[in-house]
Amino acid sequence: MSGNRGPAPIGSSLLRLSLSLLIAYGALAGGLAYWQVAEAQQLSADPRNPLILAAARQAPRGSILDVNGVVLARNVRGGGADPLREYPVPEAAPVVGYRSVIFGTAGLERAYDEQLTGLRSLRPGDEFFRKFRAQPYDPNDLHLSLDSRFQRFAAQALGERHGAVVAIEPSTGRVLAMVSNPTYNPNRVVDPERGRRYVARLRERDDSPLLNRATQGLYVPGSVFKIVTAAAGLGSNAISPSTTYESQPEEYETGFLVQGFRIRDFPRDFQTDHPLDFYEATEVSSNIWFAHAGLDTGAGNLLDWAARFGFGERLPFDLATQPSQVTGGGGPLEGFLDRVELANAAYGQGQVLVTPLQMALVASTIANEGLLMRPKLVDSMHSASGNVTEIRPEAWRQVISPADARIIRDAMQLAVEGEFGQLLAGRAKVPGVPTAGKSGTAQLGGDADPHSWFIGFAPADDPQIAIAVIVEHGGAGAQRAVPMAGNLMEFYLDTSR
Amino acid sequence: MAVIAQALHRAGIRPRLRWREAALLVMVGVTLLAGWASLQSHRAGELVLGDLTLPLIYLATLAAVHFAFVMTGRRMDQLLLPTAAMLLGLSLLLMERLPQDLASQSFFGTLLPLAPLQLFWMIIGLSLLGMIAIVVRNDGWLRRYKYSWAALGIALLLLVFIFGDVVGGQRLTLRIGPLAGQPSELLKVILVIFLAGYLAENRALLSVASTRLGPISLPPLPYLAPMVVMWGLALSIILVQRDLGAALLFFLVFLALLYVATQRASYVVLGLALFAAGGLVIYELFPHVRVRVDIWLDPWADPLGAGYQSIRALYAFGRGGVLGTGLGAGLPQVGGTPSIPAIHTDFVFAALAEELGMLGGLAILALYAVIAQRGFRIAAQAADDFRTLLAVGLTLVIVIQAAIIIGGNLRLVPLTGITLPLISYGGSSLLVNSIVVGLLLALSDRGVEPPPPPGGRTGRVARWRRRARRVGGRIEEAVS
Repeated sequence: MSGNRGPAPIGSSLLRLSLSLLIAYGALAGGLAYWQVAEAQQLSADPRNPLILAAARQAPRGSILDVNGVVLARNVRGGGADPLREYPVPEAAPVVGYRSVIFGTAGLERAYDEQLTGLRSLRPGDEFFRKFRAQPYDPNDLHLSLDSRFQRFAAQALGERHGAVVAIEPSTGRVLAMVSNPTYNPNRVVDPERGRRYVARLRERDDSPLLNRATQGLYVPGSVFKIVTAAAGLGSNAISPSTTYESQPEEYETGFLVQGFRIRDFPRDFQTDHPLDFYEATEVSSNIWFAHAGLDTGAGNLLDWAARFGFGERLPFDLATQPSQVTGGGGPLEGFLDRVELANAAYGQGQVLVTPLQMALVASTIANEGLLMRPKLVDSMHSASGNVTEIRPEAWRQVISPADARIIRDAMQLAVEGEFGQLLAGRAKVPGVPTAGKSGTAQLGGDADPHSWFIGFAPADDPQIAIAVIVEHGGAGAQRAVPMAGNLMEFYLDTSR
Repeated sequence: MAVIAQALHRAGIRPRLRWREAALLVMVGVTLLAGWASLQSHRAGELVLGDLTLPLIYLATLAAVHFAFVMTGRRMDQLLLPTAAMLLGLSLLLMERLPQDLASQSFFGTLLPLAPLQLFWMIIGLSLLGMIAIVVRNDGWLRRYKYSWAALGIALLLLVFIFGDVVGGQRLTLRIGPLAGQPSELLKVILVIFLAGYLAENRALLSVASTRLGPISLPPLPYLAPMVVMWGLALSIILVQRDLGAALLFFLVFLALLYVATQRASYVVLGLALFAAGGLVIYELFPHVRVRVDIWLDPWADPLGAGYQSIRALYAFGRGGVLGTGLGAGLPQVGGTPSIPAIHTDFVFAALAEELGMLGGLAILALYAVIAQRGFRIAAQAADDFRTLLAVGLTLVIVIQAAIIIGGNLRLVPLTGITLPLISYGGSSLLVNSIVVGLLLALSDRGVEPPPPPGGRTGRVARWRRRARRVGGRIEEAVS
């Protein structure tokens, strides 16, 4: 007990203890305010929130309609307490998705779940007073830009073949059709009795019917990628429309040697006694010419211009998208492994992987004088209480100058309508309408048949539709994708007049 | 009137009016009835009062307890009973609102679903509360036999450990015939009694720092040891039983009492450091602890498994907003089951916060703060150290437990499976917390006997008391 004073009066420590308790309770109050005020909006919007799940039972869910008012999804009186969701146009499944009590939501049913249920009001103050309203739900009907007749026609054209079709209106970015095959029947997914078994079987299949190939399928593009290379080359002034490569006619015989790798053009029924310029190279789809162009443009420029089209990022869209790539990356040449890969990428091989949506956007950009419009599916939302929300077309980027776009357009028109172009992609031409486009045959290596591609737009002078078609393992472009694209564009232009 | 007054006076009964308590109890009654009407109206779709049996029984019990306090003339704190009553009332409201099949028990042939069952325990609890507040006038039996108390507590714990039922991964329940209880709840109180007694007795010695451990000064080890051993034993058994919430509670109460008794912040710092070290060790060694901490940090990492409860609770808070969804209007069911698992035990706060909003949540926090303030006031005004420490300990047992579970609901601390005092469903929890409030009321009685003088008293009763004390003392010596 040397020199130590006795214990201090107990009161002072009591005071300090109560102070720390006060702080603790203050923290609790703060936490409460955080979750109930600051984060409340975000929590309420989470699709897994049971409020949204329960609301769906009580509130009539909005319908989804196509551009002409044809119903794509709606509630009908089911057998039990839960309303049944009906999908009169199953071909629209990749876009519309489904809403199942068991499996949740997919497609637009998922992306616009809040609006279809009508939980979230657009003004922040409304949340506060919601409990005082008699009917707190205000479901919206979605009016899409999709044309269901066109969608059906495109699905039938694709038939049993695996692949995708994406059709866009170039001046607005509105999606006119989006088909993915193999697909599924959403009516069977939401069937209360047999849904489970149906989905289980879908998941067991090797060919991924639940995958939306249009937005998330990654494919080797082949020659259709040359449009991107052209844009990069012209945009960076590495090439001009009259650029020629002296060595080219000789390389037609021997192949273009890049660091030991031989790039070849396929034998065609035309003369190659003179070096080709840009227009001719596009018309005959010369790999050698584009390999030169790509090397001259350089890795950095090619990646930059591709990025302007949207490569390397998830395209901003109502549905989930996968980013397209020009290279797998990680190599010393700005991501490319070497000049060989760059040269191969320039004509759409190498490690280039694209989604059909991305290629449709490429075609759409060229069609729209180089201005890339943000792709969108929903035109407007009509709430039950009468509110109409318009979703306006939005310009995303000016990718290339209008002059360059016109040059590429002219080249693409030659690729369909030119003397030699006809031989490759003539069947894509819409009768009586100037048509522009590019076919592609994506070599996959090994024994597999190459993918068959086509991108294009019509009418070339005043484009109403830009399209991308891919048929998996469809053989050379002329065999599958090209005539299909021609039929589709013709159908659309006929029926939309 | 005068005749009755005289008769009472002769029998030694001196009634004393308790205005404040009466007024507050009336407010509690009105609030409860308003809430009840709101709930029933929502269910019926029109403005009705509904079946008032349950709340009226409850209010009648409250009135009876209040009347007993008045008649026995106790000068006890007048705010504690109404505060506890409001919390119990909220509990009754919530249990009535939740699906009745969440819990049920049959007594002598009648099956009581959730709300009547909770009311049953509330009545017993309130009666206990009243009896303790009135009858306990002398704290000798608490302060003298601290080691016996401690031994009793450990024995209880071991009993559960050996004979208890495993429910939900935790061996907490002891079953005797048709009744099942959680003795670990009672253990809290027993431990507090022991600590209060021990610390009061050895306070001076413990405040002296005689041992130095580097920069840290410790009290003389022989005096520190029994306390730490007793506490450590309880803690380790609890950890083996996986009752993390109780372990945390014990630890915090222990540290707080130690601080209040000795005024030395260094002990607190040392204790927290040991906690951090021990916590890390436990985190590494025990997978179930790791799971708890991991999903606390990111419940969305396992949204359908371990994180499910926590996420669901957060959704509930979000739905509530400032004003709440209204009693009966929230808690959307998912396929027939309530939207939050364990909603009537661990997550009552989330359920109330959803339906009563942030304002309701803040009100509940305020009620616990009132209990804290009254409890500390009782401690500050107590006649000696033991009573002060006992009051502090008892208050903390309620208030810290509330903070821990509310913090767990709000994701401020990892979730632990302890109950929200006086609100959560659960007979054991309700009874023990009623005992705590009863003891606090007893301690607050300003007319109560002062602590016994050293010499002792004379008289026949006093002689019997001394004999009883001697027997108790021998047991105490044997145990210590």
